[in-house]
Amino acid sequence: MNPRKLLRIAKWEVTKNAGGVDKRTVAIMAVSVVAMLLVAGLAASGGATGLDSGLYRVGVDESSPYYAPASEDPAFIVRDPSAEAVERGDQELYFDGTTLRNRLGSQKEKAALSEFRSSVDGYNSEQMREDDNATAAFPVSVTLVYLEQDGVTETVATGGNADGSSGNGGTDGSSGAGGTDGSSGDGGTDGSSGDAGTSDGSTGSGTGSSSDGDSGSLAGLGAGLTGGSTSGTPADIQPPFPFESLVLAFLFIVPMNFVIQAYGSTMLSERLNRRGELLLVSPVSRFDIVAGKTLPYFLGAMGVITAITLGLRFSGLTAGGGPIAILAVLPLALLFLAATFCGAMFARSFKELTFVTVTVTVSLTTYAFVPAIFTDVNPIALISPLTIVVRDLQAQAVTTGDFAFATIPATLSALVLFTLGSGLYREEDMFTQRAIPLKLLDSLSTQIRSKWSALKLPVMLLPAVVVAELAGIALLFALPVEISIPLILVVVVLVEEVAKSLHVYAGFSSGRFDGSLRTTLVVGALSGTGFFLAEKLILVFQVLNPGLSEIPTSQAGLVGSLVPEGVPLALAAVVLLLLPLALHTVTATVSALGARRGRRTYLVALVAAMAIHFAYNFTVVSTVVQ
Amino acid sequence: MSSERSWDPRLIIARRELTSLSREKTIVLAILIQLFVAAFSSFLVVGLTSLYDPSSIDSGGIEIGVTGDAQQDLFEAVAETDGVQPISFESVSATQRAFDQGRIDAYLTGSFVEPPDSQGQVIQVTATAPDSSIRTTLVVVQLRKVLKTLERQERLDRADSLDQVPLPLPEQIDASPYFSFTYTVLIPLLLFLPPFISGSVAVDTVTEEIERGTLELLRVAPVSLVDIVDGKSLAMIALAPVQGALWLLLLSLNGITVANPLAILVLVGATAAIVVVFGVVLGLHLGRRRPAQLLYSVLTLVVFGAAILLPEHPSTTAAKLAVDSPTLVTYGHVVGYVLLAVVLFALTRRYVDRVQPESL
Repeated sequence: MNPRKLLRIAKWEVTKNAGGVDKRTVAIMAVSVVAMLLVAGLAASGGATGLDSGLYRVGVDESSPYYAPASEDPAFIVRDPSAEAVERGDQELYFDGTTLRNRLGSQKEKAALSEFRSSVDGYNSEQMREDDNATAAFPVSVTLVYLEQDGVTETVATGGNADGSSGNGGTDGSSGAGGTDGSSGDGGTDGSSGDAGTSDGSTGSGTGSSSDGDSGSLAGLGAGLTGGSTSGTPADIQPPFPFESLVLAFLFIVPMNFVIQAYGSTMLSERLNRRGELLLVSPVSRFDIVAGKTLPYFLGAMGVITAITLGLRFSGLTAGGGPIAILAVLPLALLFLAATFCGAMFARSFKELTFVTVTVTVSLTTYAFVPAIFTDVNPIALISPLTIVVRDLQAQAVTTGDFAFATIPATLSALVLFTLGSGLYREEDMFTQRAIPLKLLDSLSTQIRSKWSALKLPVMLLPAVVVAELAGIALLFALPVEISIPLILVVVVLVEEVAKSLHVYAGFSSGRFDGSLRTTLVVGALSGTGFFLAEKLILVFQVLNPGLSEIPTSQAGLVGSLVPEGVPLALAAVVLLLLPLALHTVTATVSALGARRGRRTYLVALVAAMAIHFAYNFTVVSTVVQ
Repeated sequence: MSSERSWDPRLIIARRELTSLSREKTIVLAILIQLFVAAFSSFLVVGLTSLYDPSSIDSGGIEIGVTGDAQQDLFEAVAETDGVQPISFESVSATQRAFDQGRIDAYLTGSFVEPPDSQGQVIQVTATAPDSSIRTTLVVVQLRKVLKTLERQERLDRADSLDQVPLPLPEQIDASPYFSFTYTVLIPLLLFLPPFISGSVAVDTVTEEIERGTLELLRVAPVSLVDIVDGKSLAMIALAPVQGALWLLLLSLNGITVANPLAILVLVGATAAIVVVFGVVLGLHLGRRRPAQLLYSVLTLVVFGAAILLPEHPSTTAAKLAVDSPTLVTYGHVVGYVLLAVVLFALTRRYVDRVQPESL
């Protein structure tokens, strides 16, 4: 790496690149962004109708007390009550006075009634607010307190009295950081962990948020983001379902999309008509080229993120947001760029690149967003760096451990992707139409120097393995345990066996390893050992995020690295060290033996290795996770 | 080849455009994305719905401890709410112990206080929920229900002091809380994704020919630039409704019925035509993928967002069609999009006709 050369390439990328973005384009972009803000502002100020406007038709007479709530909620279209219309399916609800006259058959009718119920409820609250007898209108005042069940008082959260609430806005900083003391997190609380998987919360007030009139608007969002509402009536209780994190996810991820569009284009256009050859023959390393060409886009992404964070902070929409939030998005930005870089190296045409870009966006958005839905379910949420962002924006405290847990796997995975992609940044791969599987093997085999590389590569691939497995856990943990545990085992087995053997196959097919039986056994054993050593690093994550081991699905997913409780030390050593080592070595050798002969035998051997691995894991899990 | 000769050259180009997608196996990727999003959506809809339902808890609901002066009122409110059971406690400390030991999931402490600034009493409740537990959300949702029941009851008791008695609520029934989400967010998202991808691919296919210099080769063939552009656009426009139809099929397999499929596909097709034509013009005008794609994505996003100024946003139109609540306005919008698509397509052909191919 040569910083001077790197910077020069970065400068060229911004100023001299063919097909660069000229001033006119920038001007149009700027106007568009302003237009976007205007539209957003307009939508927020209530100048536009909601998404669900006119979804349900309700038949209610003007004399009915329900006429007012029905006509005030845009989700409902008010019709004259008629039994025939209900019969035809043109009216979901038919009220006579306040009595429902039709029988509810379809899902839609039920949903309509449920929505209407919350509409009437919201209307009531609205009416009460105008009443001058405050104690009769709001006879109940609530303070909601979150308490650790093993007796550790965490602190206050939403709600509070109409008067005393100004104080606790500040104090709720440390709530939600409960994972830090989780070493004691056992005993009575997870006695019920068998059904915890099926019974968890994570839902929230549903989508029928029309109960409080202003939700959906920016003002409502602001109140939600700061995590405290001033008045303390029961209607103000917000279940910890951060719907806002969805909005935030898109706020941070949408700009990323534009950046990777441009980045992918520039990387792929280097490969058209051998344009990149000039740089390749110049006396700079390919890492300088890749880093130099990436730097402007990375800085651009970070600049936009910083602007958004500061914008949120200073417009008063969020209570917090500072360096921590920005730093937490950094791995995501890197991951987006790295995945796009690989995509641009693999894609054979612009069209293909578009699909690759969409795939990258969809999968990374899922990775960032799904765990963040569960922002208040500590262990799962922290899988995504976005959770850290949400917490920082809510001015909650973020511990170093949480931060490390959320960001390290993503950062390392991004680096791995960059390394693999750089392996393809060479003449043979860039300017030819090689098939994608061959390119994939190329990217791995360029990393192979000697037999010892078989030890090194699984270690290198591990962050990607961890991210894939964690993402699997986040996706599956909400399902019932009976389904989620076998599924996560399949995910784990697939991911790990491929990570253990693909580079071996690449080595054989590129001739870096000779096909002798001795080499095969050595390489297989080394690969298994390498993976075993690397896997032990997952222990670090257990230390960083102890809560993860309390969830059956993740327990199953990370089996082999988690210490089962109540097992004698000697047995634990066997379970933790010898058995996994044997397992990984055996399966890696099995697939290496197949890889030696060619693709078909490799696939057969890979399936065999997966079967062995699955059988092993299934046995261990069924004894450990009860 | 001889069979191709009798074909319209535009159709040949369209077909080649599509075969190149399938040969590159890009289409596999596209279908994978669709399946992924479909799996994800069913995860959201089916998974979360079953979690939300308190009756799905094996232990038979949530047990809430009640204590304090207002114990009786709290007890009744809890008893009246589905899915929760009240347990009375003598003292606050006993409640706390039970909570610590996990015998109850949450507790409510209520007392009567007289607010300083007004006459009368209010019930001051401290609700305690478990922190950072998987059940937290569910428990808080239930607590909210209980306290709202209490509030209603108290309001009715004090109805004499109120100007207006609160309206009775319609009965509570089991309805999927994600019904509205499915139709207003999910289905429009799934339906509008293919047109936007089609538009993006249209930008690619035009700029790639220009950047690689292969447009010249096509021009040697006895086809005009208009034919080429027509063919490419038609291929991309046709792709979107096909994908949309696939979606509707997947959704119905998932148990989500979508009404008015034909009108929806027409809407998808018209949207695809509008964005594809836009993408083609951008591609021809700018000639380079990077600025063209950037402008395409930013501008379509802005226009799609600005469509909220219409009486009905396109996604609302799709939602109303899908949920079978269309009005005349809804159909009017669909017709409007079709007309707009036709007009734009015609205008684009005139624009392409005037473009000097040598200048590209």
